[in-house]
Amino acid sequence: MPLDVTVHSYALPDGVDPPALLSFLGDRFDVKAAPTAPVTFVVVDTADRRVRDAGLDLALEGGRDTALVLRAHPGGPPVTAPARRAKRWTARDLPAPLRDHLGPVIEMRALLPLARVRADVRTLNVRNADLKTVVRLRVATHAALDAEGTPAPLTSRVEVSGVLGYPKPLARVVEALTGEAGLVTAPGSMADEAIAASGGDPRGIRSKPDVVLEPGTRTDEAALAVLRELAGFVEDNVPGTLADLDSEFLHDLRVAVRRSRSVLRELKGAFAPEPLQVQRDALKWIQSITGDTRDLDVQLLDWGDLLAGVPAERHAALLPVRNLLVRHRAAALRKLKAELRGRAFREAWAGYRTFLAGDQGPARERPDAKRPIGDVAGERIRKVYKKMVTMGSAIDGASPAEDLHELRKRGKELRYLLEFFGGLWPSSVVKPMVKTLKALQDVLGTHQDREVQADHLRALADELAGVVGGPEALLVLGVLVDRLGAAQQAARDDFAARFAAFAAPGQRKVVASTFRGPSG
Amino acid sequence: MKVLATYNIKGGVGKTSAAVNVAALAAADGLRTLLWDLDPQGAASFLFRVRPKVRGGGRKLVRGRSDVTDVLRGTDVEGLDLLPADFSYRHMDLVLDESGKPTRRLRKVLAPLEDHYDLAVLDCPPSISLVSEAVFDAADALLVPLIPSTLTLRTFAQLSDFVDAEVDHRPDIIAFFSMVDWRKRLHREVVETLPDGRTDVVRSVIPAATEVELMGVARAPVVTQAPRSRAARAYAELWAEVRERLRV
Repeated sequence: MPLDVTVHSYALPDGVDPPALLSFLGDRFDVKAAPTAPVTFVVVDTADRRVRDAGLDLALEGGRDTALVLRAHPGGPPVTAPARRAKRWTARDLPAPLRDHLGPVIEMRALLPLARVRADVRTLNVRNADLKTVVRLRVATHAALDAEGTPAPLTSRVEVSGVLGYPKPLARVVEALTGEAGLVTAPGSMADEAIAASGGDPRGIRSKPDVVLEPGTRTDEAALAVLRELAGFVEDNVPGTLADLDSEFLHDLRVAVRRSRSVLRELKGAFAPEPLQVQRDALKWIQSITGDTRDLDVQLLDWGDLLAGVPAERHAALLPVRNLLVRHRAAALRKLKAELRGRAFREAWAGYRTFLAGDQGPARERPDAKRPIGDVAGERIRKVYKKMVTMGSAIDGASPAEDLHELRKRGKELRYLLEFFGGLWPSSVVKPMVKTLKALQDVLGTHQDREVQADHLRALADELAGVVGGPEALLVLGVLVDRLGAAQQAARDDFAARFAAFAAPGQRKVVASTFRGPSG
Repeated sequence: MKVLATYNIKGGVGKTSAAVNVAALAAADGLRTLLWDLDPQGAASFLFRVRPKVRGGGRKLVRGRSDVTDVLRGTDVEGLDLLPADFSYRHMDLVLDESGKPTRRLRKVLAPLEDHYDLAVLDCPPSISLVSEAVFDAADALLVPLIPSTLTLRTFAQLSDFVDAEVDHRPDIIAFFSMVDWRKRLHREVVETLPDGRTDVVRSVIPAATEVELMGVARAPVVTQAPRSRAARAYAELWAEVRERLRV
């Protein structure tokens, strides 16, 4: 965006307060200063910081009449829309101009109030000989407020914005601030700092482990490092799942559990068999209690796409189907909440955490424990890949759907192995391999998901027959199920080409020769 | 990007006042807004304290031989940028006449800015000329100030006929009464009778007000200089109606 103006953000050093800065600038430039304005606002973003990552800045501002204020372009006008205080806002809740900007960014995630900030803001305009503003400065002292309103001071900042067509005055102001006054670029953003001061993680809730491993690291240590990170992700997502803030908390919780199960399975030789089995069973149970709600979330998230294949005039007839899904989802969520708040979950999770923190027992029961992770993970990658090649090669047009489903499950194992331990090998090999694997998994995923969705919809038939509008809905439901069947078939048609790329002879050789550990 | 042009065959009817105030209100609403001062007198540029000069010359700009992004200036209103006037615009008819497809030229100048702005407001000089045709071609809507008089209806009808006859791409016409003095019976009568049944005349009325005249002294739009004044409120109502019609 070449028309965006340049914006610099500097931290005010200790001992330099806004009046001192104004005095410094006033000695050198024609500065018009507005009175200091105290403002309180709330930093708003999704739990995984999608707004920040898209280069946007969103806040809930105002006292009695609040508004969501989106700053999308440096130095440009903010997009503002009235909005009430809330524990969350979904894209659907947003007024049109904000929805247009934020809808594609946040997708199914909810916007959440992440930190409350009080600021004293002073706007300073540097003017030229015609008394025209040629540089804008915004000097602010900030404090993050906790639930009781107790302030935690944040870095005081000065934001310097150029005005289009006046680069020289901006350069002079920047030179004065950084040269003479010795100001340095502010570390991170005010929003990040406020979130950290409020006890949050400015990076947002994460879903991918970031563990640095060496090929020679002991396998049990490597496995535990990854598992502890994943356990943290599970815990991070429990409150959002219980509060039902958006569907992705539960999704990320399930992914973290699935990845943990995969590590325990693939690196089972690093653990003593008995306690390992206990924990594998515990995680399997957690996965099972979260499944129904997630399946229904998927149905509802895909609802718009499903409708796309049905003539618009028939959409209304499907309303009873959607209402049933919503009702089932509410019931599944109630059950899930009770499980997550219950003793069984608490004890299972505490047991798992103790397992991750404790001594894993004598090494004689754990043949892979001391072996280098490079050897063990490499071995697993080669074996899972080879198994997938064998399984996939046996699939033809007459193979049952289960065969594709089993292949997909293996694919997930391989994907996780590459995600967690792929960093031990050259990215020139790992990246293309992940790419072909992902392409294959996409079609296998579509194939499986469409089947599950069609089964779910079919299962609603009896119940639908008894509700108002049910018979009409049943007729259109047939169209939906057919459509899902067609999508499943299309995925199956794509399978051969995707699998051929994944299992190409060249790729097989590369896998066999690359994924070796320090012991060769 | 939507393009709105303030236009009237007559001068001194409040075109520039409408252009600068509507543009300032659009920016305050969060729209990335551009104001193009096409009047060689440069009144809009003067109001924003920007020199009425286009770097490299207005002729090169209009003929597409200089980069429009190089000549833009930010104004004191955040979110509002200005494409300044240039004295050479007094010969714009000739410049356009020398160009291929003259009525398309202004639209072409704006084309590179399409993704950078939500709204462009063109402040046009009073005339019926090739410049007017190029403005009509570029604009999605014409914002037409009308001073109440016995000839108002006739002048307005002439304008509508001209727009209908001269351009393939007919912009919407959004007319409003400007410089209305409620103490004058004629003004009251015309304002009350003309809009009746006409969809191209909006309800908002801009009063004849000292604050509007003082814009030249304050060198700022009345909506930022005296936002609570009667005139500022009237411009806000006008902008709300225009925005709805433009769907921007």
